[in-house]
Amino acid sequence: MVLVAPAVALVAIFVLFPLGFAVYISLTDWPLIGPYHFIGGQNYTLLAHDPQFIHSVLFTLLYTAIVTGPIFLVGYGMAVLVRSGRFGSVFFRTAFFLPFIVGLATESFMTLLELQPDSGAVDYVLSKVGLAHSSTAWTVDYGLALTAICVFVIWFASGLTMMLLMAGMQGIPTELYEAAEVDGASWWQKEWRVTLPLLRRNIALSLIISVIGSFLAFNQFYILTEGGPGTSTQPVVMWIYEEAFVQYHLGYATAGAVALVVVIGIISAAQFYLLRESRDSGNRRGAR
Amino acid sequence: MTAVSRTSYAPQASRRPKAAGSPGASRGSQGRRDLGRTGFALYLTGGTIASLIFLLPLAWAILRSFMPNDLVTQAPSTGDFSQLTTANYSGIIESNDILLYVGNSLLVAVATGLLTAVIATMAGYGFARFRFRGSGIVFAVVLVTMMIPFQALLTPLFLEMHSLGLTNNLAGLALFYTTFNLPFGVFVMRNTFLQIPWELSEAAAVDGASATRTLVSVLRPLIVPGLATTVLFAFLFSWTEFVGALTFITSNNLYTLPLALLNMEYGSVGQVNFGYLEAGAVIAMVPCILLYIGLQRFYIRGLMSGVVKG
Repeated sequence: MVLVAPAVALVAIFVLFPLGFAVYISLTDWPLIGPYHFIGGQNYTLLAHDPQFIHSVLFTLLYTAIVTGPIFLVGYGMAVLVRSGRFGSVFFRTAFFLPFIVGLATESFMTLLELQPDSGAVDYVLSKVGLAHSSTAWTVDYGLALTAICVFVIWFASGLTMMLLMAGMQGIPTELYEAAEVDGASWWQKEWRVTLPLLRRNIALSLIISVIGSFLAFNQFYILTEGGPGTSTQPVVMWIYEEAFVQYHLGYATAGAVALVVVIGIISAAQFYLLRESRDSGNRRGAR
Repeated sequence: MTAVSRTSYAPQASRRPKAAGSPGASRGSQGRRDLGRTGFALYLTGGTIASLIFLLPLAWAILRSFMPNDLVTQAPSTGDFSQLTTANYSGIIESNDILLYVGNSLLVAVATGLLTAVIATMAGYGFARFRFRGSGIVFAVVLVTMMIPFQALLTPLFLEMHSLGLTNNLAGLALFYTTFNLPFGVFVMRNTFLQIPWELSEAAAVDGASATRTLVSVLRPLIVPGLATTVLFAFLFSWTEFVGALTFITSNNLYTLPLALLNMEYGSVGQVNFGYLEAGAVIAMVPCILLYIGLQRFYIRGLMSGVVKG
């Protein structure tokens, strides 16, 4: 018990206590300095009618809806490419995964430079192939900024999906594919009838990790657009950050944060439920 | 001994098919046979093109960081490559104190790695070897915190850490990072200790080995992979983390590397020096790439343990 005490203490101090404290703060009008008053659920009522907050929620949902599918498809394709362990697959796998390792913050600074009008590589390349004017200012227009950030994030995050799917693909016994071949199955049929059903858990896991990551987006928007133009590209975490540490409405910001924790908690719980269920049914099938 | 270490590495063999092991070799040739010559050529071409899409932007950033700043703010052209210089690097060292920020980042990342290793090893051993009243529930609680996003706890954490004197404090930042790496670390270390056949240490004792000798010669090789995974994840998390540092660190001289880069972007008066910014970003990037390439089997092992758990 002594051995687990430091870990439990840190988790209690920096996770469990702040969690309870957050609920408490969200029921007050806590400013950064000075006295606070208990105001009950008023912050939550305000949130529901705050166009700024609602916009950030809708924006986060839109962003998540745009990137989740492409991240999954690109990741799946790359997993198919590297799963076999053929010559070169370790190199390919490493190349696909490096953007994820370097991290969004660092790469956002690099991307900022390449998105500059007239000097960035993005405008240079796109103007050569006639897709954009060479002085397109990506970060100061809502649609352009969202487009650029989505492409950037798909590039960044697909490698993680690839890793998670590859792990599952390599766990599928080759006998199943051989049996399917004997039955005359085409590549597509093998993929559709053997790989996908057996990969359900990994697919669910990678999608959930991807969706949670998108819900928590901050770095790329803060660094590339600062939420602009105006506050049009402000995701939820940035709304919380600005409301708390720029506007000093800590109580109000925390109400938004509690809502975010609840949403993520529901997704995580769904993940546990889905993954557990599929595992159980697998066992049951095995037992028969 | 050999037999044991082979079993503990077994899951990796399938992931490193290029290793000397015969299963990988046969699998590779089998794949080539399946594909045929054209298919294999297509695979190589597709893989190479895709690799370029992922690697070129990173390589381009490195190249850009060696261009003079006035070229960085102009449209790229082929002439750029003839004027490579280290001016951006000497510039950010002299006028932006980048070494101080590298030091801060390194200090926090190393502290986070070591602290996570020590605490997760203790807890992992405790959970794996001893059953005490409520140990299952305590372990579940530690794991469940993996699902709580720290991004949503910034306000209570700020108030709490502020009252404890841990804001604007690199030790406080390291404690914060350690906590959010612990659930994963404890999970990995518990699995590591669960996989150790303890009869082995008993056998060593029977053979007359001292406790220290048992630990060093018999147990160390079994524990090191899990430990390396834990430290690597904690280090990389800390090195690349942004929003927590932004919230808890306010003094310029305590900035970590990402904050120093942000300061170069927004804090500077007038035109942003993009040459400096690019050089700083490359300094932040290179350790991640080297660590991953050198230690990727430990990294992938960690990812896979998460997948198995779900």
